[in-house]
Amino acid sequence: MSKFTHNDLIILLTAIGVILILSRVIGELGRKFKFPIVMGEIVVGILLGPTVIGTINPEFFEKVFPKDGNVSIAFDGLVNLSVVLLLFVAGLEVQLSLVLKQGKAAISTGFFSMIIPFATGFAAAYYFPTLFGYDTDTRGDIFFAIFLGTALSVSALPVIARILMDMNLFKSSIGMLIIASAMFNDLIAWLIFSFLLAMNSSEGTLGVGYTILYILAFGLFMLTIGKKIIDRSLPWIQTKLSWPGGVLSISIGICLLCAAFTEKINIHAILGAFIAGIAFGDSVHLHEKAREILHQFVTNFFAPLFFVSIGLRVNFFDNFDVMIVGIVLLLAYFGKVVGATFGAYLGGIKIRTAIAVGFGLNARGAMEIILGTIALNAGLISQKIFVALVVMALVTSLTSAPMIRKFYVEKGK
Amino acid sequence: MIMEFDLNKLKKRPSYPFETIAVGLAFSPRMESILAEAKKIADACGSKLVLIHVGTKTKEKEKSLGDILFRNNIEERKVKIIWTEGDVVDMILKLCKLNIVDLLILGALEKENIIKFYLGSVARTISRKAKCSVLLMTESSTSEHSKRKVIVNAGTDHLKTIHSINTAFYFAKHIGLKEVTLVHEVHVPALAMAMAESSSAPEVTKIKKDFSEEETNKLHSMISKCDIGSLKINEKIIKGKPGYAIRQYAETKKADLLVINSPDMHLTFFDRIFTHDIEYILADLPCNLLIVHSRV
Repeated sequence: MSKFTHNDLIILLTAIGVILILSRVIGELGRKFKFPIVMGEIVVGILLGPTVIGTINPEFFEKVFPKDGNVSIAFDGLVNLSVVLLLFVAGLEVQLSLVLKQGKAAISTGFFSMIIPFATGFAAAYYFPTLFGYDTDTRGDIFFAIFLGTALSVSALPVIARILMDMNLFKSSIGMLIIASAMFNDLIAWLIFSFLLAMNSSEGTLGVGYTILYILAFGLFMLTIGKKIIDRSLPWIQTKLSWPGGVLSISIGICLLCAAFTEKINIHAILGAFIAGIAFGDSVHLHEKAREILHQFVTNFFAPLFFVSIGLRVNFFDNFDVMIVGIVLLLAYFGKVVGATFGAYLGGIKIRTAIAVGFGLNARGAMEIILGTIALNAGLISQKIFVALVVMALVTSLTSAPMIRKFYVEKGK
Repeated sequence: MIMEFDLNKLKKRPSYPFETIAVGLAFSPRMESILAEAKKIADACGSKLVLIHVGTKTKEKEKSLGDILFRNNIEERKVKIIWTEGDVVDMILKLCKLNIVDLLILGALEKENIIKFYLGSVARTISRKAKCSVLLMTESSTSEHSKRKVIVNAGTDHLKTIHSINTAFYFAKHIGLKEVTLVHEVHVPALAMAMAESSSAPEVTKIKKDFSEEETNKLHSMISKCDIGSLKINEKIIKGKPGYAIRQYAETKKADLLVINSPDMHLTFFDRIFTHDIEYILADLPCNLLIVHSRV
């Protein structure tokens, strides 16, 4: 094994520095136009990656972002760590008690905004694989079909929360319903996705029964006994150890240990991180300030590395297939908006507000991109599908606020 | 037929005045102090008193109850005593409906053992299901009524709250209290996440300030609709998870009574596992607890 050299370190530090500064600059520019920050990060990746600089000046691109060697391995390690921490902070905001508290409307909305996009995505991928560029006369790959169903059913809590905050709907009943349903969507989607990754693992699979058993056992343990232990320990951690260093080290340490454990038992590190996040985030003892610091730390350092890295790997120009993008967009809008609207309506919400809920939950944002990236790395999807998912994530995030406004805010006028 | 008639009478019945107060008798060592407190409240509110025991009626129990009533100046002929057998929770709930009870008083431990809590103890199960207001008494305060600290959960986003506040004011005035503290819990899930990536420092400060001002205004607006009378009202806005935050506040302030809304839905085992709202309070009672069932 070759040693990590002085030169490797210079290249790695330069790459990280360039990524952080450029993504902040572009992200801040986008913020002026109310674009999500993740969009700026993806644009930076596209600019720095094979799509633009890699085409104009391949030598420079290969030098700063090499595909092989020590720098590439180190950067991959950082990107993997970023995914784990992004899932941890996503879990921090999932409060199962809020879903229960919102009652029938949240459960009905959460369920139908999950099941209808899943069914439409699964059916399209399984029965019409050629639409997605698969050369087959028969039925599609079952793993791909489950993945597409899952990808279409996920919602992006960070984007949704931001949209609701900007629209001053955060504390409204519709806001809480959308947030609670998005939490439900995310939890179920990541559980299904972990199952899928475990079944598709190159390290050998455990079999359907054991995989489900391990996922449920880990989830149940962490959300009951694990959560109680965390709940009991947090007051001590936050008062007896250095602040905020103590709670940061312990929470991230536990997140990484859980991620390592789930990776070890072949159900992927993301599940461990996500569930650890829920166990911490649901604790009444986690100080709001600690929560904010964890979000700031991950969102402003690790998230840019991850989202820029996407553009560094994939040529968005070569892999942009209009038909696939169109179909993915159509399925995404149809499944989510119809499913969530139907669920909210069944839950007792008036039809116009129910449609607003549907568009609110339609924002896919960062969660979709994380899901797509892991699926791409696991060989579940092609680069064309991945590009279509990224486009869908951005388009649904951008259209969410105007559509909520159209169906909800106008009503109050 | 009788049941149907009584249920109709219960519908939309206001949460106060307390015309009928029932007391669940468990023949525990604390029964006498609970009865003494119930008598004080009934005298202050001009209420009829109904005493309910679900269990075998024995001579010892009859004598013990008679002695307690005598020692506390409760005339047996002026109270209705119901002896019955069956499932304790079901029978008490049924008898409360049949007797159009406005307030049910029960003794409760501050904290149940973990198995009993998750499976559901009698007092806590009744308080989750009752169709009337319930006063869970953890202790009989020896201090004067007028000196007792009462904290009311004034969650401004709930229709029931105004009824709970008015009931608390009614109760406070009748037992001679001078002041009541209204506490409003503020909890905005996913706020940290929403602000993390693209909010400047002044924006974060403004968002937090706006939220705080909005809640203060809502609380003022709600108080203006209540019948305060001569009571002194203290206001407090606290941050934290609903139920837990006010439980902690009541404990810290050494409150004598915490007043909250009745639950909005049928609470199950899962609500105790993924604890929220009233379940945080029932898990570890900080003081006596009045759950106001506003029947709206």
